[in-house]
Amino acid sequence: MSLELLLIIAFGGAIVTYLLGKISCRIREGFAVLISLSLVVMIACLYGENGTESIYFHFLGLPLIMRTNMLSWFFAMAVSALGALSVIFSLNYMKNRERTDFYYLMLLMVNASMLGIIFSGDLISFFIFWEMMSWSTFLLISYNRGPAVAAGLKYIIMSIIGSMAMLVGVLSLYATYETLNMATLAELIGSASSGYLLFLLIIFSIAFAIKNALMPLHTWLPAAYAEAPTPFNGVLSGMLTRMGMYGFLLIMYVIVGATRALNLGSGLFKFHYILAWLGAITIVIPTFIAILQDDAKKLLAWSAVGQGGYMIVGIAVGTNLGLSGGIFHTLNHAIYIVLLFMCVGAIQYRTGGERDLNSLGGFIKKMPFTFIGTLLGISGLVGIPLTNGFVSKWLIYKTLILEGYPFLAFAALIGTWGCILYCYKFIHHIFLGQLPGKYQNVQKAPFSMLLPMIILSFAILFFGILPGIPLKIIDTIGTSFGFKSMNVTIWGIASETGTLNTINIFAAVLIVSIIAWLMLKIGPKAVSVAQEDTYAAGAAIPKDKYHYTVDFYNPLYRMITPYLKDFIDAFYMKFAHWIQSLCNGTRRVYTGYVGNYVMYIVLFLALLIFIRLKWSL
Amino acid sequence: MDRNQLIKWLKAPAKMGHKYSLHAVYFCTGCGIIEVPPSITARWDAERFGVLPVATPRQANLFLITGYVSVKTLRAIIRTYEQMPEPKYSVGFGSCPINGGMYWDSYNTIKHLDKYIPIDGWIAGCMPRPEAIFVAVTHLWTLIDKDMADGYKRYRDHYQAYRANQEHALGKLEWPPLFSNETKS
Amino acid sequence: MQMIEMILSPLLALIIGIFFLGLSRKIMARIQWRYGPPITQPVIDVIRLFSQKSVSHGKLFNLGIIFSLAGSLVLVLFLPLAQICPLSGSGGMLVILYMMLLAPLGIALSGGESANPNTSIGISRKFILALGYEVPLLLILLALMTHYKTISIVHIVSIQQNTGWAFVSLPLLLSGIAYVLILPAILGIRPFEVVQASQEISSGPMAEYGGPFLALATIQHALSLFIGIALFVNLFLGGAGNLLIFFLKMLVVFVLVLFVNAALPRLRIEQAVKYLWRWPTLLAFIGMIIVLIVRR
Repeated sequence: MSLELLLIIAFGGAIVTYLLGKISCRIREGFAVLISLSLVVMIACLYGENGTESIYFHFLGLPLIMRTNMLSWFFAMAVSALGALSVIFSLNYMKNRERTDFYYLMLLMVNASMLGIIFSGDLISFFIFWEMMSWSTFLLISYNRGPAVAAGLKYIIMSIIGSMAMLVGVLSLYATYETLNMATLAELIGSASSGYLLFLLIIFSIAFAIKNALMPLHTWLPAAYAEAPTPFNGVLSGMLTRMGMYGFLLIMYVIVGATRALNLGSGLFKFHYILAWLGAITIVIPTFIAILQDDAKKLLAWSAVGQGGYMIVGIAVGTNLGLSGGIFHTLNHAIYIVLLFMCVGAIQYRTGGERDLNSLGGFIKKMPFTFIGTLLGISGLVGIPLTNGFVSKWLIYKTLILEGYPFLAFAALIGTWGCILYCYKFIHHIFLGQLPGKYQNVQKAPFSMLLPMIILSFAILFFGILPGIPLKIIDTIGTSFGFKSMNVTIWGIASETGTLNTINIFAAVLIVSIIAWLMLKIGPKAVSVAQEDTYAAGAAIPKDKYHYTVDFYNPLYRMITPYLKDFIDAFYMKFAHWIQSLCNGTRRVYTGYVGNYVMYIVLFLALLIFIRLKWSL
Repeated sequence: MDRNQLIKWLKAPAKMGHKYSLHAVYFCTGCGIIEVPPSITARWDAERFGVLPVATPRQANLFLITGYVSVKTLRAIIRTYEQMPEPKYSVGFGSCPINGGMYWDSYNTIKHLDKYIPIDGWIAGCMPRPEAIFVAVTHLWTLIDKDMADGYKRYRDHYQAYRANQEHALGKLEWPPLFSNETKS
Repeated sequence: MQMIEMILSPLLALIIGIFFLGLSRKIMARIQWRYGPPITQPVIDVIRLFSQKSVSHGKLFNLGIIFSLAGSLVLVLFLPLAQICPLSGSGGMLVILYMMLLAPLGIALSGGESANPNTSIGISRKFILALGYEVPLLLILLALMTHYKTISIVHIVSIQQNTGWAFVSLPLLLSGIAYVLILPAILGIRPFEVVQASQEISSGPMAEYGGPFLALATIQHALSLFIGIALFVNLFLGGAGNLLIFFLKMLVVFVLVLFVNAALPRLRIEQAVKYLWRWPTLLAFIGMIIVLIVRR
């Protein structure tokens, strides 16, 4: 199976889907699912292929190369699987909307270009696919028009800044080494001075930090997530944003190399240490902003910014545990955030686009499967033991503590505790409490929406109880970067400074839960009552909303809101306005009247004559 | 704990539990509640009998109706009584719930509370002293022992009649019947 | 052997926790110049609750409370009780930190289902308070783990038994004091009794529990008392060689905490968080810096 064929199928499939849509909706949808599933199968077949390179095109005399290794297999698998699930989820959600052909084209295009990024073996094709991804994402974010266009513009402007930074880096590499093949670069770069390496890392980091929404370059993300169509949110938050993570891994550990990347700078001002601190800030501040959100998608968006911080901290700390934690967290985060966005999508689909947390409530009785999905999703997000998020966070914490970075560990841990607050708010406002009267007739989500949710819920538990399976793969990635291998067993990690054994925890929780359940069974059976039959000091409860949701963490809001203005965004907007007014001022010169232009010429000539006379040059 | 008690505990732990752990609803129905603070605080200390005020009817099994019952309060009393888990005991405190007391000719007061919810025992007097609460509690213990504190069973058996009385006094009730027809046995 | 420990340690925790509940009611009564209930009163209450018929608001209402009790019971398996620690090698301190989440989260999910505003207010207070005390607590625990260079609580205890209590060792003294200051908040007693404030919000998350549900919640409360104190004894008072000394240490700490409970009124939630984020956090922060300096 050659990689060219894979990419041809990915891109060709997108275009054929668009054309089929002109004939029939059903054929188009079937074909889109078929294409995305066949991509999953094809990539799964690539497992274990390492280092095969193939030149597929020449561009201005530069060979464009595809290659595969464990890192790209891992990311490609995640991209294609989550892409396929998103396509399946879209089937019902996008039904009866306008421009669906275009939607499917762009969705498959984004997936294909992400695969292109992952498999490209040289920087010029990396850059081309990167740009394709940015532009098709922009078109999808702006799909809904209205405020979505502004969000999309914000995204694309920041993206372009990032791409330009990357282009500078690529060109400087080409000027120095006259090749853009990653493998060759990795060998040649050993002779570079540390100053040049630092320049390279910073210039590439700008591009990847914008994509990964690292503070202070995160400002595009909340608006874009909130306005994008919900099924696309899965792809956007799960993998597309994490292409930044792939980029960081690529530049730090593949091209520059672990030993060189981890020794740049001195003392506290090492490059990777500063990157880790940026990651820590990215964990804490967005977490607290997320607590303030009342919009389900904005809440998840800020949470996604925060979780991105864990990955950066993990890979920036530069140990085998941290690296594995960071990469594993990328996968885990993709799984649960896609699941949570799908749950929001299901709720939106059934309630007619409602995503304001304060006007929902009590959906557990109407949409039980969606509730279970959300519960597992937030468990993963918080990192409750036996869900996947726990294992990756455990790895990150452990390495931070043992390497002597307690303040970084503190930032990571406090992020988790803040995370509980918004996670509970999310699940409580949507699913618990009293069901408003107007949603009495809400149906279960349709099967095509439930199927991806069930698969992802299963994945959360599977990776949580048997973390060894993905960790083995991640371990080979780590060793290929030159790190020491971890002692991974199928149940967890064994080492002398603290072991993790998930099966023990699982068994203990299972047995103890059964005991607790039996204890509840000792007493007489409880009578089920309606939601109106709750304690209200003897008063009867009104039928409609009687449920405490607005300003849920009010005392905390009052304390933290003054400190949590998004001043970075405000600064950027001010900067943009300043540029705009500067341009406006310049434009005022060009009035369009011939008389004015004649006046400019005459004045200019007069100035010249004046200068000539005054200084008699 | 003497031997007799121990045998009783082994024979019927549930019944003994009900006896010695009477948690009262913290619900001030009338002026008689003024006698409750001294009885639960340092002067008389009801906690040594296991009597403890709790916050919600869900956690309680003893309902003290302390003083006169206006029509408006009756609504809350019924609601609270229905929300208490079974077995539950209710005690009328003072002469007003018994027969209206000094409000016997008021247009807005309920005269006979036991027409609306079942009462397991009365404490007469206006006001009864806090000691009377303890007399009532010890009396309630003997009633529980002899299975005579069966107000909640009466309520279940004659629910239709109670409900009819309640609707007669209050008009239409906002909540559905506690027991449907077929549970009447 | 491990199986016996698995059964023994939750059982011990349960007995000690229930005993502490009874003791607290008795001691509070004596401080308030009352005779007080018999020390077995919580047992009587639990028996009574188990025989009562209660209401349920749905599946999650039942599952949440089971989840919460299970979380507390599993957490006990990770704590060393003197030499007994059945799950010592399964994740260490970090798992304990996370397991401490399960109990409030279970109650929160279960209470949320009951659609009672009092419950929701109580839960929101619980999470805010938890965020309040976790800031100093995490700093304290990280200082401990950094100082002893391990994330295993068993190692922390065994190092202390060789080199003396962490509470009196100089680098960790400030962290220990900070822990003492936040201990009432962890146990949820006055002045931090904001969650189950029965006079304000009808006992908060417990408002809808009755019968067996309340019995499980009581047992869970007893366990959480046990866990809070046992954690302190293990981390700062050096654990113990045998169960008797461990129990005595716990008893001393508990009685001291009860005096605080009896003497102080309840703070408002904002006051509580402001206090927790000011003095204990400052002490814990300085303690952490001292640990880092000593480590270098």
